[in-house]
Amino acid sequence: MLILDELKRNDAQLRLVAAMVALGLFVLLAGLWWVQVVSARKYQSHLETQAYRTVRVPAERGKILDREGRVLAENAPSYNLNLYLDDLGSDFRKEYAHLRPVKIVTNSPPFWKFWSRAKKVTKQRARLDSDQVDALAWQARYNVASKIASELSSDMGEPLKVDPADFKRHYATERAMSYPLLEDLDPAEIARFEEHYSSGLPVDLEMESQRVYPYGTTAAHLLGFVRKDDSSIEGEEAFFDYRLPDWRGVLGIEGGYDSYLHGHAGVESVLVNNLGYRQTANVWSAPEPGENVVLTLDLDVQRAAEQSLLAHRGPNSRAAIVVMNARNGDVLAMVSSPLINPIYNSNSPAYLADEKLKPQLNRATQQNYAPGSIFKPIVGLAALEAGLDPNALVDNPGYVYVGRRHITDLAEPGQYDLKKAIVHSSNTYFITIGLRTGIDKIVRMAEKFHFGERTGLTTRQETRGIFPSLKEVNSSDWHDGDSANICIGQGAMAVTPLQMAVAYSAIANGGTVFWPRLVERIEPQDPSTGETSTDYPSGLVRDRLGVSQHSLNVLHDAMLAETVEGTGQAAQVPGLKICGKTGTAEVMNEHNVRIDRTTWFASYAPYENPKYAVVVMVESGTFGGPTCAPIAHDIYEELLKKDPTIANVAKN
Amino acid sequence: MVDPSINERGGRVDKLQLIAIAGLMFLGAMFVLSATAAHQPDDLPWYDEMWIRQIIWYALGSGAAVASCIISYHQLARWSLIIYWGMIVCLVAVLIPHIGSTHGWGARRWIDLGPFQFQPSEFAKLAFILALANFLSRPVDELRIPAIFWKGIGLMMLPFALIMKEPDLGSALVLFPTGLVMMFVAGTPKRYLLKLVGGIAILCVLFVADVIFAPRALQIPIHEYQRQRLLVYFGASFADKNSTPEQKAEARRLQEKSSYQGKQALISVGSGGFWGKGWRQGQQTALSFLPAGAAHNDFIFSVIAEEEGFVGSTIVLTLYAVILFSGLRIAGQARDRLGKLVAVGAVTLLFSHVFINIGMNIRIVPVTGIPLPLLSYGGSSVLCSLIALGLMQNVYIHRKGY
Repeated sequence: MLILDELKRNDAQLRLVAAMVALGLFVLLAGLWWVQVVSARKYQSHLETQAYRTVRVPAERGKILDREGRVLAENAPSYNLNLYLDDLGSDFRKEYAHLRPVKIVTNSPPFWKFWSRAKKVTKQRARLDSDQVDALAWQARYNVASKIASELSSDMGEPLKVDPADFKRHYATERAMSYPLLEDLDPAEIARFEEHYSSGLPVDLEMESQRVYPYGTTAAHLLGFVRKDDSSIEGEEAFFDYRLPDWRGVLGIEGGYDSYLHGHAGVESVLVNNLGYRQTANVWSAPEPGENVVLTLDLDVQRAAEQSLLAHRGPNSRAAIVVMNARNGDVLAMVSSPLINPIYNSNSPAYLADEKLKPQLNRATQQNYAPGSIFKPIVGLAALEAGLDPNALVDNPGYVYVGRRHITDLAEPGQYDLKKAIVHSSNTYFITIGLRTGIDKIVRMAEKFHFGERTGLTTRQETRGIFPSLKEVNSSDWHDGDSANICIGQGAMAVTPLQMAVAYSAIANGGTVFWPRLVERIEPQDPSTGETSTDYPSGLVRDRLGVSQHSLNVLHDAMLAETVEGTGQAAQVPGLKICGKTGTAEVMNEHNVRIDRTTWFASYAPYENPKYAVVVMVESGTFGGPTCAPIAHDIYEELLKKDPTIANVAKN
Repeated sequence: MVDPSINERGGRVDKLQLIAIAGLMFLGAMFVLSATAAHQPDDLPWYDEMWIRQIIWYALGSGAAVASCIISYHQLARWSLIIYWGMIVCLVAVLIPHIGSTHGWGARRWIDLGPFQFQPSEFAKLAFILALANFLSRPVDELRIPAIFWKGIGLMMLPFALIMKEPDLGSALVLFPTGLVMMFVAGTPKRYLLKLVGGIAILCVLFVADVIFAPRALQIPIHEYQRQRLLVYFGASFADKNSTPEQKAEARRLQEKSSYQGKQALISVGSGGFWGKGWRQGQQTALSFLPAGAAHNDFIFSVIAEEEGFVGSTIVLTLYAVILFSGLRIAGQARDRLGKLVAVGAVTLLFSHVFINIGMNIRIVPVTGIPLPLLSYGGSSVLCSLIALGLMQNVYIHRKGY
């Protein structure tokens, strides 16, 4: 090299200096190689962590529809008035400079500065320690924000306030995001804002998605509710710097099918500066909208059931209704009372906490009840299958002794066959034939109905009910008295109205026990995406009773008689033959003292070729006949209107 | 000492060095623009934009460099003592309130001259080179006399102490290598220099050890920010061993704060990678992670390194290498020891700046406020660098004394 050649000829000192310079430059080059080439990735990721913030952008939640496509739950935009902090940096600085205490110093400039522009009176910024600087900077930010809020107040015609603690929290933790000044604007407020928007303030409307239920409290227990929850679901990025508000289903369909409704949140990356303010944003992955859940529910039937319950029993009744397609187990209506607002927070806490009403409970699936007399047909079925002659007479003296226990019979004394025993709900008859049949056979029959087991709902609101096992009834602790209780639907057993609907459907349809179906299919929100929908099979058989059609026909006839001439007459609908059974179960406290009654009407129709099962349960009713049957009547009217094929052709 | 063959090559100026200087000035203007564009107010008149002002400084500096070539360095050397003492007066003056200005920073480094400020420590370095070269150009035999040696040291220590007082540790420290190399090249006996270097090294080690390990009461009083920078560089904790958890947390916060610039510079340089992100595409300045007040002057190298990557860094280093080695060649070709010493002094001064500045960007040396010659924004630095280069060319031009 030219330069080095020159140096070779010169003296040793210069050569040494040249060598040291060369060494120094080489050290720098090596250092740069290390930093820029070898460790480049490390510093690039440092840069990313300090300059990028990821934001979780929630997906649009799927709708919940009834079987005819009517919307039971959907999303509606709500608007917030947001303040953009990233546009306020210079305002913050100005306000800070303005707030900063100033010392006024008077001094004469030294003579050699006569030409300078120095003033005699100068302002000097006071020295502040770092705590004072922080406090002052915070005060400046708060002043700017509340000044904007008050300017907006006059435009919006309502006072806007910035809560210092909330603003501080937002500034500390979500600086790259805009700050909501006013949430959930009504249309008038939106209009006023749009009108005054020219004011040039760094604010704008931002949309937020809200869950709405167009039919209000209809089917609210079944739909469940959502709560604000922006955490990541499985399969999503777990770490986000910021999260936009999102909803998560907690109970009911919203809870049980949340993984479908929820969709997949998207990721937005926000580039921030050293102060954490937003610079630019771009979408890394777009959110995938959630899927719609189509229920088997029929809105008309559901509403008819709710309205009937309301009309007969008032808003504070504690009751449940289940309407089921007896031929396939589809749930057409599921009512629980008292009603609850599916927008959880609009229920008053006192109401939600009410110990007696327990409005949060879905009484159709979530509460154990003694079935009382509506269990008798199942005992009868077990007896018939064991060889009972339905026409054989049992003498009813008005009471029955089991061991030394005296059980009164509300049916008047006389000779009873099966039909008469069902129509008059004779305890004596069913205890007598039940004990004669043997508790084992009754338990085996009940096992085929799957009492004491869950019906497999995914709504997170189900109790299994209670039923003794064969092992229990064969143990030495089990007495005839216990068996007698089972025979009349009392004692060591409990059911849910849904279980009873499944059981009556099985009696109605010739012996098939279905899994109840609540959800017909999951379908994409936007059909044009070409995604396929998932159908849940209808009529999924859980078990077959394996009983003779003859036994069932005996029950059909007996239960038809119940609504024609018995206690269930109030259920009658002209043109429709209804089979039913009323029930009134006693609710005992721990001292075996009656404290309440659970009244029932369990039924199915039409008699000729049963299609629908209707179970009505009212707590604290008088008797199943007067309390529950009229409600079933209204439901059957609606069913007949919707489905004229069930009408009694012979009669018309 | 001068090889006849070189004279035949002729040429009034060292063209290669001029090309490298022009290249650096071009880069300087480009990257001052890149470093400041994002943070200038929109209504700033064009002539107030930093990069335009930098170009104006280049023009003024080039004028000053040409001026310093016109008079032979022999003439300049004759005035060197007067210039030296003049600068000493300025350095004293800058310490007096009302004359010296702090610019809002902690240190009193500037003299306010109305429209612009003047930083005497920069010019003091040049005056020091001239004066020491003049002093050392006496016959080699005289350099063996201890009194002469100590006088030379005194010549170095006086501006050193005054600049330290401002305080401006970086500017003060570059006087050491400059002075030592000049003494070495002048022919000062090695034993003196070895003793001197050894002494300084021991003092440095003791000083650093004192700052890091000694309890507060026994520490040499230096400015808190200097102490912190040293602690950051050596990775030592700010907190005393027996401090409370709150004090430790506070110390950690403080440590974060004082290591911030160095850390951000390192992220800028490192994230540039091999090819860089492209001119004006750097994020670190645009997002203000590199402080807007420092990116275009002391940390201009990290802006270049981020935007142009290792390739850009290598180009910058190459340009400096050309300037430094051609400077050493000029020293070799100088017609006398005075010229050689002036050239070597200028080379060492520039090299020290380059090494410390780039070194602090990649954490080889602690963060000190020292500009990168010709690239950093700033009038005093640009003027001094160009005058120093002018002095080299002066030596080159006047290498033929006949």
